[in-house]
Amino acid sequence: MFRRFFATATKGANLVSDVVIVGGGPAGLTMASSLKNSPILRDLSCTLIESGDITSTLQDYYADPPETILNRCVSITPATIEYLDKIGAWKFVKKARTENYDYIHTYDGLTGAAMEFDSPDMATMIENFNIQASLHQRILELNSEQPVNPLDLRDNTKVVKITRDPKTSWPIVQLSSGDSIKTRLLVGCDGARSPVRKFARIESRGWAYNQWGVVATLKYKDSGFRSPTGWQRFLPTGPLAQLPFPDSWLSIVWSVPPELAVVLVSLSDDSFVTMLNAASRLSQEELDSLYDLARDEPEKLKEEAEWRLGLFNDNLTAEQEEKFPPMVESLVPKSRGRFPLKLSHADDYVDERLALVGDAAHTTHPLAGQGLNMGQADVKSLVSTLEKSRERGLDIGSKFALDPYYSERYPYNHAMLGVVDKIHRIYSTRSPLVVWARSLGVDALNNVPFVKDLMVGQVSHMKSTK
Amino acid sequence: MLAQSRLGKTALRPLVQSRNLFFLPTLASAATGFFLRDSIRLANSLEDNVNQRKSSNDVILEESEIKPYFSRPAKKYPNHIPLYPYEKVAMFVTSAIGAFLHPEKNQYIVALGESTAIPPFLKRLRKQMLDDETGRQILKDRPNITSTSLDLDKLAALPENTFGRTYYEWLKREGCSPDTRVPVRFIDDEELAFVFQRYRQCHDFYHALAGLPISREGEIAVKFFEFLTLGIPFAGMGAVFAPLNIRKSQRDRLLTIYYPWAISSAANCKKHLINVYWENIMEKDVNELRDELGITLPPDMRELRRIAREKRRALQANPSPTP
Repeated sequence: MFRRFFATATKGANLVSDVVIVGGGPAGLTMASSLKNSPILRDLSCTLIESGDITSTLQDYYADPPETILNRCVSITPATIEYLDKIGAWKFVKKARTENYDYIHTYDGLTGAAMEFDSPDMATMIENFNIQASLHQRILELNSEQPVNPLDLRDNTKVVKITRDPKTSWPIVQLSSGDSIKTRLLVGCDGARSPVRKFARIESRGWAYNQWGVVATLKYKDSGFRSPTGWQRFLPTGPLAQLPFPDSWLSIVWSVPPELAVVLVSLSDDSFVTMLNAASRLSQEELDSLYDLARDEPEKLKEEAEWRLGLFNDNLTAEQEEKFPPMVESLVPKSRGRFPLKLSHADDYVDERLALVGDAAHTTHPLAGQGLNMGQADVKSLVSTLEKSRERGLDIGSKFALDPYYSERYPYNHAMLGVVDKIHRIYSTRSPLVVWARSLGVDALNNVPFVKDLMVGQVSHMKSTK
Repeated sequence: MLAQSRLGKTALRPLVQSRNLFFLPTLASAATGFFLRDSIRLANSLEDNVNQRKSSNDVILEESEIKPYFSRPAKKYPNHIPLYPYEKVAMFVTSAIGAFLHPEKNQYIVALGESTAIPPFLKRLRKQMLDDETGRQILKDRPNITSTSLDLDKLAALPENTFGRTYYEWLKREGCSPDTRVPVRFIDDEELAFVFQRYRQCHDFYHALAGLPISREGEIAVKFFEFLTLGIPFAGMGAVFAPLNIRKSQRDRLLTIYYPWAISSAANCKKHLINVYWENIMEKDVNELRDELGITLPPDMRELRRIAREKRRALQANPSPTP
């Protein structure tokens, strides 16, 4: 009986769509608006499937954004902004809730060896929701321009199962709403645990970093004007990044071992703020004692951490003060979250009638802030690949037509994942020899401007070839 | 004319690019720099916002100002004497030689103690204090042990069995005072200097607790015990090298009685000694305190020495005992 049920279900695809995008995150929405924006591809019928309730939440965000900055934020590069602008979505972004910063200050938690990067338009901090909401607005705009063949956005809909049509081998996506869609090209933008990738049986290789990223939104103490700066302290437990937003808001990504992440998330708001200030300034031995205290006697933590911070700040000269981020004043209640960090890279991005984009294809450590930007570059490359094959009259779903996307993006992404992984490795050790060598290297590099410019160019102004 | 200039260019290019004349461009820019040096200096000072309106008098004054041949960096705490690395090395070498040859001279011992107390050891000691409630309290209070802060008269009035009284009796017997401890001067970090100061000031409490005298032999025994419990590098050096420089009978006594005592006491020591707030436990029963810390009382060194001395005298008075 089951066999019969599945058999009918497989055959009975009641809808057909040229492109089905699974996942309504930044990658999926960019993919959708980019397809509909392309003069060559916009006549394709296109469906986007998202399990969450995005239309109303994104509409709410756009109509009436919350007072505080949300905790899920990303740093986007000028190349990403350029692309969002090209597909017409950047004009919907709420600019007052983004911060363009020109300086990045990284420093070593064990030796204090620091490296300053400055370049105009280094990067921009933006909430994930801000990107998604602007893309959603762009999709609505495109749909009203093109009412005959609009993007079919199905949110609150889960993908139940993916099968292949036995005759044509086109993927059939079965939805929780009961519909099933047969498609020429299935695009997986469905995140790190991508069901689309699993359906395609594409192996994803990598390893878990023994770290979780703790995110939160906080506010700096008002201590006069300082130009917006991204701070990153490389502690042996993992990097602590403080990223600027307007009005003294900041967003943090604090990578720590899982057991410490549990402790940090369970601290009271005040203690967490003190602990964060301590982690951006105090020595590693002091922090180790404070972590133990946070685990065993959290009620005493605040007093002890403030005592240590007081000692530290009293000995600080005005010149040294510049080398540390300002003190954080308060935490937005309930803004703390945590997620596991891992490196993974899919063996292939494409298969017959299938392509993977963004986190579905690769995940990385957030220390370089490259995850979302790599996804955006993927979308750009995939869409231009589709445009080319359409112009040449190819079947856009065939592996032959999709392969250029894979060959263009895989090496670049692989190099980026590798570099980020090496940085993580160099900084997650306490071995004195490595610590000495890395500090020497950083001090040397910091005095060679053209090398720094090259590094900034690599992460900040990356432009995928057309 | 056109032909001429073209000819000129083609003639010039191989000249400049030829292998032998590769230094010409460098030379040319150096020469330009030489002729324009004043303009370049002016441009640089403009860029760096240097005051241009200096009168020639100012310049003469500035140049005539005698700069000190040698200057010390700023102090980080009142007693601090900041040393340059080469001075630290020199201090280590001289004090090590001095301490070996003249262990009775306090200045060598003090200097050697401070020059070997390098930051990693002190940071470890501070970490052990930070990990402990009492240790943190000590770091916060920054107590300084002197005869007034301890109030010796009060200690003298305490009952026989208390630690305070034991300490007082020991001071009286050895004829010393808590004020003899020299302040730390050469450690660069202010808090680490306090940690070392605390270690130095607590040294007498270990003596009192173990009842060991401040003779060379007693010091070595306490130093070895300190090295085992606190990990002070200087104390370890003392335990290894100092016995080389004493009489054989003393060395034997150390190796057979006091080193084993130090090892067993250190192994059984239940609390990190730097985290003991000695000032606050003066009224505690001394045996109770020893039990609590896991330290046993070694045989009385003065008594053993007296017995040995008497034997020796008896031997001298009567070199060949009649059968």
